[in-house]
Amino acid sequence: MSNKTSRRDFIKRSAAAAAGVVVIPEIIPSSALGMGGKTAPGNRIVIGAIGTGSQGMANMRDFLELKDAVQFVAVCDVDSLRLEKAKNTVDAANKNTDCRTYGDYREFLEKEKLDAVSIALPDHWHGIIYTEAVNKKLHVYGEKPICRTIKDGQTIVAAVKKNNVIWQTGSWQRSQPHFRRGAELVINGRIGKVSRIDVGLPDGGRSIGTPPVKDVPPELNWEMWLGPAPKVPYRGVSHWDWRWILDYSGGQLTDWAGHHIDIANWGVGLEHTGPVEIRGTGVYPPEGIYNAPVEYDFICRYANGIEMRVANSSRLEHGMGTTWYGDKGWVHTDRGNRLTASQPSILDEVIGENEIHLYKSENHWQNFIDCIHTGKPAIAPIEVAYRAISVALLGEIAMTTGETIKWDPEKEEIVGNPRAGRLLARPYRKPWTLPTV
Amino acid sequence: MKKQYFLILLAAIIMALVISCKQSAQYKALIITGQSNHNWKASSPILKQILEETGLFSAEIAITPEEGGDMTTFDPDFSKYKLVVLDYNGDSWSDKTKSGFVEFVTNGGGVVSYHGSCMAFPDWKEYNRITGLGGWKDRNEKDGPYVYYAGNRLISDTTAGPAGSHGAAHDFEVRTRITDHPVTRGLPVRWMHGNDELYQQLRGPAENMQVLATAFADTSFKGTGRNEPVLLALEYGQGRIFNTLLGHAQEGGGPAMQCAGFIVTLQRGAEWAATGTVTQSVPSDFPTAAAVVLRTDFKEIILEDAFEMIAGYDIQKSTRYYTYIQNQIRTAGGNKEKLLDLEKRMVKVLTSSEATTESKKLMLRELSWMGSDYCISSIKKLIEVPELKDEAEFALARLNPLN
Repeated sequence: MSNKTSRRDFIKRSAAAAAGVVVIPEIIPSSALGMGGKTAPGNRIVIGAIGTGSQGMANMRDFLELKDAVQFVAVCDVDSLRLEKAKNTVDAANKNTDCRTYGDYREFLEKEKLDAVSIALPDHWHGIIYTEAVNKKLHVYGEKPICRTIKDGQTIVAAVKKNNVIWQTGSWQRSQPHFRRGAELVINGRIGKVSRIDVGLPDGGRSIGTPPVKDVPPELNWEMWLGPAPKVPYRGVSHWDWRWILDYSGGQLTDWAGHHIDIANWGVGLEHTGPVEIRGTGVYPPEGIYNAPVEYDFICRYANGIEMRVANSSRLEHGMGTTWYGDKGWVHTDRGNRLTASQPSILDEVIGENEIHLYKSENHWQNFIDCIHTGKPAIAPIEVAYRAISVALLGEIAMTTGETIKWDPEKEEIVGNPRAGRLLARPYRKPWTLPTV
Repeated sequence: MKKQYFLILLAAIIMALVISCKQSAQYKALIITGQSNHNWKASSPILKQILEETGLFSAEIAITPEEGGDMTTFDPDFSKYKLVVLDYNGDSWSDKTKSGFVEFVTNGGGVVSYHGSCMAFPDWKEYNRITGLGGWKDRNEKDGPYVYYAGNRLISDTTAGPAGSHGAAHDFEVRTRITDHPVTRGLPVRWMHGNDELYQQLRGPAENMQVLATAFADTSFKGTGRNEPVLLALEYGQGRIFNTLLGHAQEGGGPAMQCAGFIVTLQRGAEWAATGTVTQSVPSDFPTAAAVVLRTDFKEIILEDAFEMIAGYDIQKSTRYYTYIQNQIRTAGGNKEKLLDLEKRMVKVLTSSEATTESKKLMLRELSWMGSDYCISSIKKLIEVPELKDEAEFALARLNPLN
């Protein structure tokens, strides 16, 4: 036990030491650090999971595929059936029955001695639980979008900075070669000066109307599921479908912002700033409990003149994905290894030694673990994630108010519109409060 | 003080005059019907109501002689109208009436062609040029190409074959293809349409024609597997034509005519055909890809009704009045007077002893961000009400930075 504690301290110290030094992330092959092959048991990252639904379990499987780089020891969920499934998965991997289970993240964070935690929760819980975990000096693999409101995001960013932990956002597209290649072509001027960007995210789906109020199933702690969100009766809608309800999420827009807006920012170096003006409209379902916009279309103007249009994919020339338009052509990239350009020759371009080489990661989960060991920032660090989701949240505010929003990306506040400014935060239901950093 | 009251009264009178002016119908429309393989007795009065709901049109219904009757007696004076609406599929009109109609369009008259009218007059060349696409009645490659969308490409297909068919009626999704046309500007790109026949394999001259919207003809409903045109905009001479292939009428209209998407596109299409512009705003109940929206009375919700209905809201009821109010807030676009008017109506709900607890919760959610000083004292009182304490505190916490 004492051994483990001192190793944890080492991991934290190394992260802290490195944080002040590293400016441009470099590629450190894991083999050079002796991390590609077998990891000595003492070097394993001791990790737990909060939120073991579909995304939480997908992340767990991705970590478990890294073999003995990590050791899961505990899981936490408000649904006891999911918790049991998660424990079984961990126990099968560990070939024992030791995985500990929690229904309350506070007890989990209090009792467990971990290096890192993998968190995948509905967005309305992110502000509190991300901040609490970071305040416990845990390295965090956290799902996008990292916040439901700008205020939540600012708090998490501040907590990560203060505690010097490694943060990896689940924006895994960054660890796919074709997205990196697309962004690298653009940032090195292969389409000339970029004037506009189209970001296509999914259209919204079907409604379910207003389902009748139901008894909460015995496995679900509904009060805890709601947490800081307004108290509402249970209607059989919780897991997965929280995405279409504005109390918990902003719909497809905020779900996907952490992917294609993130990639868009990467290609033009807008990862540490935000737009100065946002205007647009949304299409909202006229009926039913799903109230997130099913269509959205807004334009963000940046201080450098670039205009980024974010819209549901049916509205855009290239549909889903990111399209950068420059004065010499365009590059479009999307999932499914899609990388196309106005002229095929653009895609054959070689990036010279002295040009910009973007951070390279081949495996998003391995990158997180490697960075815990090296203390270097992960490929999808917190502020970058915050800036990506901010675009969507500011778009949401423009659509909700029907107004053109002026944003100061330095001070991170809405200019000259106190009414819209109220939408930057959302009060929490008692007894929940956003933790202090 | 008295002078102030007088000024307020004067302002109210002027407002009332302005509103009544706006609502007095500016344009005369003529709906032509009387023969059809469709239920024209059901559809034509509904078309009249839909047009008149805009406040822009006053419509008359012209009923032709019955099939086999003396068509020379059907001799409308088109020059009296700004818009002609076609709900007709029957005997040939007299030459005089036909040339009068063509002259009307050539000189800038507006036309709305509705659903089954695309079947009419297969041998009248100018009619087919005016309506763009048609079907049935031995139409084939001699009448023009098939027009449809394949992916994002508009296809004009001259393959030989018959024109016009449809499978079983069903709910289907309409896809807006041209988003910057006056008729479609601001509409959702995808929206669900109520149970209707989806016409397919239409052919015609398709000259000066824009396909505003399509719907996918699903093979499981005996569809072509193509994206078939459902809304068309055309120009002929100085005239404009809006052709809606939607709206198969049942007794009382049925879902195809009650569909808010059918109603609103018809209203916008009619205004565009009559004037070249569209002044109507997109209503809050325009359907989306999420679900079909029906207006069983063909009317749009009005503000007074929405607030009356919202006061009776409980957790099992429709949210449509709430989303209507949210839409009003959005479309106010930060206009302080409009927002204050809405705020006052919301506070009225908050302070009403008749209004339900659940309706007050909804109002508190909206006021939490869009409210001004006006609502604060009313909200403070609700902290004393146990079942509203959480929501009232939520609202005050958010309103606080301004107060």
